Amino acid sequence: MLQWQALRWKAIKEEEDYRMSKRPPPDPVAVLRGHRASVMDVCFHPSKNILFSGAADGELRIWDSVQRRTISSALVHNAAHGIIGLAASPLIGDDKVVSQGRDGTVKYWDIGDGDLSRNPLVTIKTNSYHFCKLSLVKKFAFGPCQTGVPENCQDAEGGETTFQGNQMESIEDSEQVKGPKYVAVSGEQSSVVELWDLASAEKFLQLPHLSSGLPNTTTKARGMCMALQAFLSPESQGYLNVLTGYEDGSMAWWDVRNPGVPMNSVKFHKEPVLSLCIDGACSGGISGAADEKLVFFSLDYQLGSALVKKEITLERPGIAGTSIRPDGKIAAFAGWDHRVRVYNYRKGIALAILKYHHATCNTVSFSADSKLLASSSEDTTVAMWELYPPQTVT
Amino acid sequence: MGEVEEKAVLEKVGNVVASINGSKHVDQVISAVYSLAALLFPLETLSFIGSISEKYRDEVRSVEALSENQTKEWWKVFYKGAAFPALARVLLYDVASDWLVCFPISARKNVYDVFFVKGRMTEVVQAIVPCLQNRGSTSYDTSAVYSNAERLLVLCLVENDGAFQMVKEFNFQCESEELTGDKLKQAISMLAQLVTSIPDKARPGISSALSSHLFFKSITTQLLSGAEEWDKNLPDGVDSCNKIYTHDTIVFIGEIVARICRRGSADVLLSELIPRVLCQARNFLSGTANVSVNKTFELKPGLRFWSRVIEEIKDSYAVERLSEQLLHQLAAQNTNDIEAYWILWILFHRSYENQPLIRSMFVDKFLLWKVFPICCLRWILHFAILECSPDNTLLTKAYHAHRLVETMQRLVSVWSKREFVQSSRLEQQAYVTAALGLCLEKMSKEDLDATKDAIHSILQGVSCRLESPDHLVRKMASSVALVFSKVVDPQNPLYLDDNCHDETIDWEFKPTMSDRSSVAKSHHKDEEADKVKGLDMAKEANGVDDADMGKKVKGRKQKLLEFKLVDPDEVIDPAALNGELISDGEGDDFGSEDSDSLSDTSLEPYDLTDDDADLKRKFSQLVDVVGALRKSDDVDGVEGALNVAEKLVRASPDELKYVASDLARTLVQVRCSDFTVEGEEESAEEKRQKALVALIVTCPLESLEALHTLLYSATVDVSQRIMILDVMTGAAQELASMKFLKPEYQPRNLISSVSDKPWFIPRNIGPPGASSWKEISTPGTLLNWSYSYERELPPRPGQIQRGKTRRWSLQSSVNENQLEQSQNQFPQYAAAFMLPAMLGFDKKRHGVDLLGRDFIVLGKLIFMLGVCIKSAAMHPEASVLASPLLDMLRVREISHHIEPYVRRSVLFAASCILVAIHPTHVASALMAGNTEIPRGLEWIRTWAHDIAESDTDRECYMLAMTCLQLHSELALQTSRALESTEGTFGTETLGLPSALASGMIKIPRV
Repeated sequence: MLQWQALRWKAIKEEEDYRMSKRPPPDPVAVLRGHRASVMDVCFHPSKNILFSGAADGELRIWDSVQRRTISSALVHNAAHGIIGLAASPLIGDDKVVSQGRDGTVKYWDIGDGDLSRNPLVTIKTNSYHFCKLSLVKKFAFGPCQTGVPENCQDAEGGETTFQGNQMESIEDSEQVKGPKYVAVSGEQSSVVELWDLASAEKFLQLPHLSSGLPNTTTKARGMCMALQAFLSPESQGYLNVLTGYEDGSMAWWDVRNPGVPMNSVKFHKEPVLSLCIDGACSGGISGAADEKLVFFSLDYQLGSALVKKEITLERPGIAGTSIRPDGKIAAFAGWDHRVRVYNYRKGIALAILKYHHATCNTVSFSADSKLLASSSEDTTVAMWELYPPQTVT
Repeated sequence: MGEVEEKAVLEKVGNVVASINGSKHVDQVISAVYSLAALLFPLETLSFIGSISEKYRDEVRSVEALSENQTKEWWKVFYKGAAFPALARVLLYDVASDWLVCFPISARKNVYDVFFVKGRMTEVVQAIVPCLQNRGSTSYDTSAVYSNAERLLVLCLVENDGAFQMVKEFNFQCESEELTGDKLKQAISMLAQLVTSIPDKARPGISSALSSHLFFKSITTQLLSGAEEWDKNLPDGVDSCNKIYTHDTIVFIGEIVARICRRGSADVLLSELIPRVLCQARNFLSGTANVSVNKTFELKPGLRFWSRVIEEIKDSYAVERLSEQLLHQLAAQNTNDIEAYWILWILFHRSYENQPLIRSMFVDKFLLWKVFPICCLRWILHFAILECSPDNTLLTKAYHAHRLVETMQRLVSVWSKREFVQSSRLEQQAYVTAALGLCLEKMSKEDLDATKDAIHSILQGVSCRLESPDHLVRKMASSVALVFSKVVDPQNPLYLDDNCHDETIDWEFKPTMSDRSSVAKSHHKDEEADKVKGLDMAKEANGVDDADMGKKVKGRKQKLLEFKLVDPDEVIDPAALNGELISDGEGDDFGSEDSDSLSDTSLEPYDLTDDDADLKRKFSQLVDVVGALRKSDDVDGVEGALNVAEKLVRASPDELKYVASDLARTLVQVRCSDFTVEGEEESAEEKRQKALVALIVTCPLESLEALHTLLYSATVDVSQRIMILDVMTGAAQELASMKFLKPEYQPRNLISSVSDKPWFIPRNIGPPGASSWKEISTPGTLLNWSYSYERELPPRPGQIQRGKTRRWSLQSSVNENQLEQSQNQFPQYAAAFMLPAMLGFDKKRHGVDLLGRDFIVLGKLIFMLGVCIKSAAMHPEASVLASPLLDMLRVREISHHIEPYVRRSVLFAASCILVAIHPTHVASALMAGNTEIPRGLEWIRTWAHDIAESDTDRECYMLAMTCLQLHSELALQTSRALESTEGTFGTETLGLPSALASGMIKIPRV
């Protein structure tokens, strides 16, 4: 009987597999053309239907993600150096965007009426000329431990985190998010991570903190810092945490209260870690590196541990960008092999291999409402995809 | 034995003969004969009495019978002395021709036949058989005599078991016989001769019982049962080794067996013999344990006579025929190894021990000169060399190690010789290889160490086989090498061939051999159909086929393995099927499980197949291709470059001329095996070759220069040289059948002539059958801004008509009129292909030795030249190039090259020359007194003749025959051409030496 059932299962499964396997991977719903150089970074506006994209010739474009048209375009960084990173977050303000150039500056822009101001609000001279993209603070959005949030995190409690799928982070009122307007960048000394206050353009902290002791030899031995993610964990009592990936493939987890040594450091990769992304609950994340591996890991603040949940080996190396959808269901990886790979984030199952770009992919980014995925590539295009749209609760 | 009786018998016979001679009536004869028969045989009632006339009945009745003892006495005397021959003569000639037809049936049976049927068979045979050949005498009705004799022979020998009786008679005879020694032997052999000659003497078609097949069958059966009886009656304790004890019976049987074999009926004999021995051996083997089976066999009644019979056969040729047939028949019946071994042992063990001739037959002839199936080879080895039964696993060392080593050495010395590889038949080679391999399998390392030179010879033999162009020969080498390595170091077998990784080696080499012959057959058929096309070397096709087949088999095996891995009874865990991850539970700690799993099911994966086709580096410039090919460490780059090389070359860009030589060189030097995964070497190799062919075709002069330099340079290896020659061949063929589009020439007037028609009316050009132009009226408008015309056109061939009319504009396209034309582009480059290649073939330089070691390259080179000249066929260039090519072929080292492979190529090239030269060219050469070409052609003829007569290789023979045929055709065409020119110009104007004409062009006998 059991065997019979098993066979039936198998038959159903096979039929299903057959049906599913016939479904070809989707094509992009839109391709945004207009850049004249490799599109280095894209990010969605946290609440509006706006997409920012920055190219290697210093051009920042603002797109309407519904009409798929350029709203405005400006050369915001030196054309010779170009933009390497862009970021927008409810934490730094609703109509603000941060751009990072390879000219050693980070600029803080206001896009009041859908157009860039002539001059940036703030220009930070970081004097760093490397490839590490900046990171704004990612704040946990929802999670199983909402009830036990410490007092410093009332902002998270105050804002109703809804599961309606969109604008989870945008509801928070601006007063409360004013505090940590930080941006994390790799510093002048490339193995060091610096935290700057966007409001005052002052350096707030550096990790490892040089004054707190001897210059940390272990950090130096890791080589350049290649990827960054700053976040506010629900359990960290409002203190910033930073996850950094280094040239030798190791990652370190820092807590700003103890800037001398990392809380934990692990080595999942053999080659430089190129991108990191933390999920909305700050309880796990993904990393991509210059080697063939994708790593899904979990973070446990109490134990200070980072463990591999799943490791996937690809046939071709190099993941330049990673992103987890705000609803935490799927994750995307931008590969050097021109493909965007989509995985089930929780199970680590491969879902799709998206082929459109004909050059290295640089970044992937999900829109805040989880409906769109944008990928940017060296082929000067930005492709927009619609994958597994979240079910809207009516 | 009383003198009295003898006298009485003779007197009686005399009376009977006299009365027969004097008789006037048949009954008189009957009564006369009866009067004697009654004395000799215990005859019962006079059953025939009613059928004779009253007059003689009393006479018959008055004959009184003798007592039983007396009858016996009389019988003995009658048959031993001169009485029977005398009477038999009368009976067989006089009575048979004059009276026998009138005999009533019962009388014939009781009175006439009884003398022969119940007589002493040895004498009877001697009396009857001569009747069959006495053709000289005319006094008798010969046909009556013959048919009577034949009837009697069938009656005596076949129906009444005469042969069996003869054997019995010999049994008794030995006790009381005065004839001894040689005289007896002579008599026996004469008798055997008579018996076995019966089928020859009998008139064909008269009596089927006397046809050699049936007759010998019956004789054999009788003899064998006679022998068995003899064997059973043999007193126990007779020493089996006692040589003096040879019985007449055995001698007689031996003689007959020998003669039957000699007369070519060994198969009939064996078809009777084998079942008997097999049955006996089986009975015996099933009953005994294998301890000292030999001894028991020797003592067992019923089995002892076999070996004695064989021993008695003094005719070694007969024994050879017998044993050969025996082996073949046993193999055909799929006899198992043990039984076959015992049959051989039962039959031959005595003669093998005692007669050196027989021993050498088994050890030398059957191993080195004959070809048997492989199973027979195993039996021979077990019987003659190991001298132990194949099931004798207990005593592994029971065999004669010494004899084994000796045999192995003998085999190796033959096997390792280069001449053996070059000149013996392939079947023979396979057989000797198998013999050697089986010997080696039985040997130990110590045995092998004892023979130092054997190891050396094995290695030599292996290495000279490995460089053979024949796949099968290489396989033999690798099989022997494998066995050898297993003997030397069982842990570390040496696999020279990727395809054979089995533990047991198949010594059969069979499937490929049949394949080969089929290829050869189809090849010859081709030749008949299209002589020139069919001349392609079967060798090449063969090699490819074999390789393919190897792969297929391998693949099939792998598939089989995979297939087995799927266990139908496997217990399947439904959870595992669902694709759940084991690590899932712990990591999935947010959200409620239910809602998650609900929404997760919507995350069905898309098709995840992925290829890296779009990631390949794209080459668009030949310079890049050259650069990428040079970077041998960039595997993908080389592969990508190879993929596009042919296309880029075919596009024939302007810079091709300048990169051609570079590209040719790099393409030759790319190592395909370095960068491809296993199993894909061939496709890469193919791409490389295609690219090279394309290069030569599009840019012949520059690339050929580079390739010719490489061909004789020391930096490339044999495979690259072969490859160069292959691509040249391919390019020559492609150039020869070049196709290109050529616009059809249409005379057009550039300036239209002034005519009465306005300029805008279209002219009447177009396909035939078109109607005239009509203006299209546009209704509704008064003003017509443009003139439109239309006309009906006939449909083009193959056109499907969809609409009703076709409207043509004034400017009609003429593209459809382009025609595909082919034109032989090769002749203009023929010299560039051939001459440089012919320059250096006989130079022995560092790494280049075409005449000796690299003979395969030489063969390929000649093949290439042949293809080249064929591609230029009927063009003047061919005639010009033919003479240097002929000069090259005529070099003795080439035309009589020791390797058949080269000779085949030469024959091919020679046939190509014959095809390529235009007959008128030969004719004009003859008329101009230019002897070069005619001499060369004459040489081809004589040489092909030699090859056809004396070459050992079959393919060479076939090719030579084709060559002769082509030559005769050319000669015929030439003579026609000569005739026609003679007709035009008249003979006297030509200074044609008639001797030359007749001498140089001969139409050979084919």
